[in-house]
Amino acid sequence: MKDEDVAKLLRSEEPLVVIEAPGGCGKTFQGSSYARDVVSTLPRGRVLVVAHTHAACGEFRKRTRDVGSKVEIKTVASLATEMVSVYHKALGLPPDAESWAWKNNGAGFNEVAERCAELVTRSPMIGAALARRYPVVICDEHQDCSAEQHAMLMAVHRGGAKTRIFADPMQRIFRRRTAKETKTDAQRWDKLKADGIHAELETPHRWLTGGSAELGKWILEARESLKKGEPVVVPAKRPAGLSIVIGDNSAQSRTGFSLNSTQRKIVDGVMFAGDQMLVLTGSNELVDSLTAYTNRRIGVWEGHTRDYLVTLVEALQAASGNAEAIGGALVTFVGGVGAGFSMSSHGKRLLQEINDGCCKPTKGKPACIQAMAKLILAEPNHVGAARALQLLEGYIAGGQAGFDDIKIDYRSEFGDAIRLGAFATPEDGLSGLARRRSHFPRPLPARTISTIHKAKGLECPNVMVIPCDKAFADTEYSRCRLYVALSRASHTLTLVVPSSDGSPLLSFE
Amino acid sequence: MSSTAIIRRLRIDKFRGLKAFDWLPREGMNVILGGGDMGKTTVLDALAMLLSPTNGATVTETDYWQRETETDFVVEATVSLPVEAGIEDQRRMAYPWNWNGEEAVQPAGKDGEEVEPEKPVYVIRVRGTTDLEPSWEVVQPDGSTEHLSVSVRRQIGLVRLSSDERNDRDLRLVYGSALDRLVADNGLRARIGKQMAKVSLANELLEESRIALEKLNEKMGDNRLPTGLSLGMTSGQGPSIGSLIGLLALHEGKEIPLSSWGAGTRRMAALEVAAATAKHASLTTIDEIERGLEPYRLRKLLRILEETAGQVFLTTHSAVAIECVGKKGHLWYLDGKGRIGYLPSSKIAQQQRRDPETFLAKLAVVGEGKTEVGFLSFLLGKAFAGDPLDDGIRICDGQGNDAVLDLLETMAGANLECAGLVDDEGRSPARWAKLKSKMNGLLLQWPQAATEGAVIAAIPDAKLEDLIRNDEDGLTGSRLRTLADRLGIDARDLESIKAALAVQKKSFKALIIEAATGSSVGAPVGGEGKAWKRHGQHWFKRDGGGEELAAKMISLDAWASLKAPVMTLVNAVLAAMGRPPIVDLPA
Repeated sequence: MKDEDVAKLLRSEEPLVVIEAPGGCGKTFQGSSYARDVVSTLPRGRVLVVAHTHAACGEFRKRTRDVGSKVEIKTVASLATEMVSVYHKALGLPPDAESWAWKNNGAGFNEVAERCAELVTRSPMIGAALARRYPVVICDEHQDCSAEQHAMLMAVHRGGAKTRIFADPMQRIFRRRTAKETKTDAQRWDKLKADGIHAELETPHRWLTGGSAELGKWILEARESLKKGEPVVVPAKRPAGLSIVIGDNSAQSRTGFSLNSTQRKIVDGVMFAGDQMLVLTGSNELVDSLTAYTNRRIGVWEGHTRDYLVTLVEALQAASGNAEAIGGALVTFVGGVGAGFSMSSHGKRLLQEINDGCCKPTKGKPACIQAMAKLILAEPNHVGAARALQLLEGYIAGGQAGFDDIKIDYRSEFGDAIRLGAFATPEDGLSGLARRRSHFPRPLPARTISTIHKAKGLECPNVMVIPCDKAFADTEYSRCRLYVALSRASHTLTLVVPSSDGSPLLSFE
Repeated sequence: MSSTAIIRRLRIDKFRGLKAFDWLPREGMNVILGGGDMGKTTVLDALAMLLSPTNGATVTETDYWQRETETDFVVEATVSLPVEAGIEDQRRMAYPWNWNGEEAVQPAGKDGEEVEPEKPVYVIRVRGTTDLEPSWEVVQPDGSTEHLSVSVRRQIGLVRLSSDERNDRDLRLVYGSALDRLVADNGLRARIGKQMAKVSLANELLEESRIALEKLNEKMGDNRLPTGLSLGMTSGQGPSIGSLIGLLALHEGKEIPLSSWGAGTRRMAALEVAAATAKHASLTTIDEIERGLEPYRLRKLLRILEETAGQVFLTTHSAVAIECVGKKGHLWYLDGKGRIGYLPSSKIAQQQRRDPETFLAKLAVVGEGKTEVGFLSFLLGKAFAGDPLDDGIRICDGQGNDAVLDLLETMAGANLECAGLVDDEGRSPARWAKLKSKMNGLLLQWPQAATEGAVIAAIPDAKLEDLIRNDEDGLTGSRLRTLADRLGIDARDLESIKAALAVQKKSFKALIIEAATGSSVGAPVGGEGKAWKRHGQHWFKRDGGGEELAAKMISLDAWASLKAPVMTLVNAVLAAMGRPPIVDLPA
């Protein structure tokens, strides 16, 4: 549907409008301009914008800043948390739902959503009250909502809120789902389309405003193919901006990445060309391998998730008081966020020092490790761990002997672990730091390596997907991942494919 | 959501004279009774503070229970609100509770039980903090609080007619007044202010004043002070523009402020303005509704109020008002201890209609019928050595055994001070027993007899003829007639009667008791039964009859055996009035 028609549909009196929004087709523009226009028509109440990620919330916030308090922007998770907090007595939960949710390693958020959905389904007056505050609700990134989060938003809709949903079923990569879950998700999407008025944005704005129009068209066609379950056709005459490069990973170790010199020359040529480059790959391990492959000339995009930090916090909670366990958790953490600090290089000595009580007089590298152990022994909790990490940071920055080989790739995450020490409990730290992060979203660096997940919602003029191999299997999940990866590029897109046994989702003419 | 604001529950803690007040008012009109300075006005004032349309309400130390300013006072209401109140639209979301009929509770639990339809309510309150500041709050279901904004309080709206003010607030354009809500124009005050500022006052100056101003201007200039002086409207502290603007009406051809009319008219007008407000009715409180109104206007006003959509809270000392509270209104009694009890109309409607002052007495002594009323008057007149009315005692006719049971149960249940003198007609023994133990000496039920029966039974046989004789009222003859009729004889002289009694083997006393109580047992079929029932009117079931019976109880030597139960009642009444007990009735 053309942009003007979508705009008209949004502003109509239809209670439920579902806009299918492929990447780069102007959904955020449509959504935010609708939010601004509808605000002035409301006799009372305000507009609620819910998105799945803080990044998307930030985008909306930027574009609706001048309308001020009449537009409230939240993540779905925080809306659920707010409701669960206020009604915690009815649900038999502790008063501080957010910390509780973090305690179970973010899986707590799922339970929060479940209880919230139960609550609003049994108690329609809550949805009605919310609909009075929010007579208009705009849902962004709705494809990433769980069934429970969806139920919660539909309860507000049933309470009387005019609802506008933006979703791209081809960008459902937030959760790995079983075949059964995939089927129920698809059914839910079909029902949603049937219950409301459905339309699809079709204008590839991202590529029309200074990108490659041919590339944009090809990406939209690729989306259609993937949607139908067919492979993406790469025509012999490539659309302007698309290039295919051969690259076979010749690394011996499972976690490494290397190319032979010929292939490397070509790939590096693309990687380091131009002003901006976003290198996308399928997993965190591959990200680490790739940054090593570039000798850290290209850094890691950390995004909003803090997986290693969450693991560390879990371990710190469980191990509070147990200095040895804390030492172990610390080693795992640093090993995850960087390279050159492992059990064999530093960890064993650290644990030994903790065990011995740091009494042996030493010099040089062991002495530094002993100093770290001392801090952990003095305060065997998140504070001690944070202090030890801060000491380690000093050693690395100062090029201390025995520490000069350590490279920290996830600098933000490392810094966050140090900041944990300032909070009363590690869970408070997690939620507090997450909140700060959401208020100050960082832009993409000029050149960076990222997982596809962390790049969702972002764009870059030049994108490389490496390796584009059989890891992109013929599953719903991989099709979505591939589409998300392809749709990040506005000017040039380079796919690094193996010479044989490549992805079944690509078909080369 | 309801169409108007309705207070479901009102809690007042440590506010003025109310230590712990907890009330479940009804929808519609709530009329609060209660003698003296017992907090009726405090309840209305508490509501007024809770819904104050300005943030400038002052709190003084006398507002605190026993002036203890170290403990907060709390006025908390659980309310159903209309959509227009906009409580969900404040800076932070206010979440609803569920109403279970008695208190605000969490929404439906988790078990797979049947969920009843929900009644969303909100919990709002005002606290008097230890800093002598009022703090308005909305309480969320998790116990946390958000600020309750003045605009929501205004939108809920309270029309308040107090007894001491001029009561013209709602006739003026003050913020949040009924007139303000009627006009519903936020920009009006500003526009009027602009207009007023334009008025040129300089033209009004007399020549001398003008010269004086010019001289001043020169002097200012000499002293390097601002010049170019003129006179005009200046803003400052004190009354706002709005408070100076109000309704005018024509009086003998001239426009006069409506607030110049009499108190009653002002009140009725204010209520009309409130009723005319387009969107939704607000809450209304009226202290002393009868103030300034003749009975006919009061009746009219009450009928209007009963038809109002919004919830109304009144206090009154007027019997007329009580009489007029119809089926749609609710009567409540507030006692000296801050307990408020309900007087359901189904139980008291008759009494409400025939003798509304029953509910305004300090102590209502309820007799079952005319006999008992007279009997009590005699006894209490002696005990109080004067008119018991002067002390606040009211002797009322409860009009029937069952009616009195309902009435006394209701009054005692509502903590209204009452006493009773009743027959035992053999009905509802359990209820009477329960009531007796609750009323504790203030209720005298003759054991298995009527008053006449109990008293006459105690009169020695020799004195029975004196009992019959009542020449002042000329009843001797008709009394004998009743006896004769019951024996089926024509002659109504004593000898004939006694002879017939001997023949029929009936006791003289029993016959008299039957006649005095109007018993229809043994009456011939077809019309006579009705006549027999009326026999009592010749005896003691008449004005003055109870007094006669009581006087004869003493003069005809029946007192000795009846003294104990009767004095218990009398002394209970004395004690309730704060008087010392007496050993015997004074002569």
